[in-house]
Amino acid sequence: MTDPTVAAGTSSSRGSVSTGGAPGDVVGVALVPGLPHLLADDPAPSWTALADATRTVGERICAASPDAVVLLSTQWFTVLGHQFQHDPNPRGTYVDENWYAYDYGHLRYDYPVDVDLIERWATGTERAGMQARLTRYDGFPIDTGTIVAGQLLDPDGRLAVAQVSCNLYAPAETMTRLAELGVEAAGHLGRRVVVVAVSGLSSGLIQRWITPDEDRILSAEHDRWNTRMLDLLTAGDVEAALAQRAAYAEAAAVDAQGRALAFLAGAGLDGVRADVVAYGPIWGTGGAVVWWQP
Amino acid sequence: MARSVRSVRPMSYVFRMPPATGAVTGAPDSSPAVDRQTAGQERGEPEQRDGRGEIVAGYLAPHPPHLVYAENPPQNEPRSQGGWEILRWAYEEARRRLKERHRPDVIIVHAPHWITMVGHHVNCVPNPRGTSVEPIFPHLLRYHYDFHTDVELAEAIVDEADAAGLVARRMTEPGVRVDYATIGALHLLNPDWDIPVVSLSANNNPYYYASAGLDDMETLGVATRRAIERTGRRAVLAASNSLSHLHWDTEPELPEDMAAEHPYNNHQYRWDMRLLEAVRAGRTKQLRTLIPEHIAQTEGEIKSGSLSWMLSAMGWPEVPGDVLGYWTVIGTGNAVVEWEPMRTDRSATPAAHATGTQR
Repeated sequence: MTDPTVAAGTSSSRGSVSTGGAPGDVVGVALVPGLPHLLADDPAPSWTALADATRTVGERICAASPDAVVLLSTQWFTVLGHQFQHDPNPRGTYVDENWYAYDYGHLRYDYPVDVDLIERWATGTERAGMQARLTRYDGFPIDTGTIVAGQLLDPDGRLAVAQVSCNLYAPAETMTRLAELGVEAAGHLGRRVVVVAVSGLSSGLIQRWITPDEDRILSAEHDRWNTRMLDLLTAGDVEAALAQRAAYAEAAAVDAQGRALAFLAGAGLDGVRADVVAYGPIWGTGGAVVWWQP
Repeated sequence: MARSVRSVRPMSYVFRMPPATGAVTGAPDSSPAVDRQTAGQERGEPEQRDGRGEIVAGYLAPHPPHLVYAENPPQNEPRSQGGWEILRWAYEEARRRLKERHRPDVIIVHAPHWITMVGHHVNCVPNPRGTSVEPIFPHLLRYHYDFHTDVELAEAIVDEADAAGLVARRMTEPGVRVDYATIGALHLLNPDWDIPVVSLSANNNPYYYASAGLDDMETLGVATRRAIERTGRRAVLAASNSLSHLHWDTEPELPEDMAAEHPYNNHQYRWDMRLLEAVRAGRTKQLRTLIPEHIAQTEGEIKSGSLSWMLSAMGWPEVPGDVLGYWTVIGTGNAVVEWEPMRTDRSATPAAHATGTQR
């Protein structure tokens, strides 16, 4: 683990960190898919729709002028404690271990990290009784979901990111608490933030190599469950959606068992109606772009 | 909603998979994979198609990065005070046997942390090299790897898997990072890396749900054996799997603090012993039923299929496995086990029959 004191105050100059907003202001919340098909040169119609919707949410984020993005990607999954990305400027190329043979399997990334926010968030997590670890290593593999979302939400790589890993052993309540702690840390620093989770919905992958026009949600049951959950979010009933999370996870093989939704709930979504900007299949899985304006 | 990790089984859906139909029903011979096997394989005899290639040994070769970290090899950046010696000493014996007795042309590893969402992939890059910073355990494993692939055999495995009806793919992209389960098992078996390698992916996914059933893994095992025979290789197999797999969700400040190391719970430990007693007694065919039960009881990592792949490749030989060592790593059960499928003179361990672990 890198000594936090070494990197304190080393936020990238591209990170538009300011202290002008109301403390802890959450100016937007989003759920976006993280599969790389959204970047395909020859996309399926649903991939195009989801990519365009993610760009639309990126424009809304830009219009909200946040200081930082509080981020979770289910594709950076861990099992011991909670890791916080501490590299002030991750950059490089990631070759996806499954989709390497496609144009969208080679991904470039270069974005700033809000190191001050990360350190505050990690410290707050420790104080809350959870184990936190700062992660700052040359060659650390940034996950596909983080890169894909970044390219669509913030193609110029200007927004400072504060990212925590998705602990697959963490209960849902812990994921909610983690996001709350991220928002609290932002408040202490006077940051205005958007909270973003990169995750799919149902995760039934089609187990063969398909052409884009063959893409469908793997099963009607998965589709029904996805739609039911999105309807709850549209109605502003996050509490009901969370109450059904476990059943949904079991019935529709939900990405990371729905930990992304639990995380987003920590941004304060009670009664806030979601705007489902797009929903559709990605290689059999369910993908949705959802925006909340608190 | 999930509850405290330490008070309940914490990840109700993460590592769960439906057991293989044939194995669970107690009618293993009806499974599609077995239908493809010959009568000789049914007797536990590896099929000899041309009398040249053969599997001389198979190892259950767990890969926790802690074991590499504890050894302080020059390839790994982090330094440790040691730890997990019982397992590392077991690997030392495996290394000795590998070099002195088995002298393979190739080591073939199936690893659960090269996670492929679609199909079974085989690394066909002639000389993978790079640094693998492990995203789950970056403080323990930042490993500089440089090894050679037996490309002819790798491609033959893809061809045989494809012919057997599996979705399979040659991975020829040198930029794909080699995962820690591949590195861990191969380093621990052969830190010199002077034996060519073939590495296979796991068509399952811990953050989605498992998709490849154990019957698929058995088919992949048969395909692997056919490729070995066709190419005339003298092969050692490595199933890069732990056993029971519930574990702590935090770690001590000093990762190698052995005062914190013990089984996650007694239930997991007893099920590991139940499995290993069958192994030591040579009741290999029983494992086809026992493995899915073990997975269901312990969230066993063997659900990724590495062990089933290996035993299927060896024809489920009714010979005792030699348990070289067992201990826990962050609470998971790990055993280093050797099978020599052609060796019939190794007697079953008497104690294995005597102890009779109960559920």
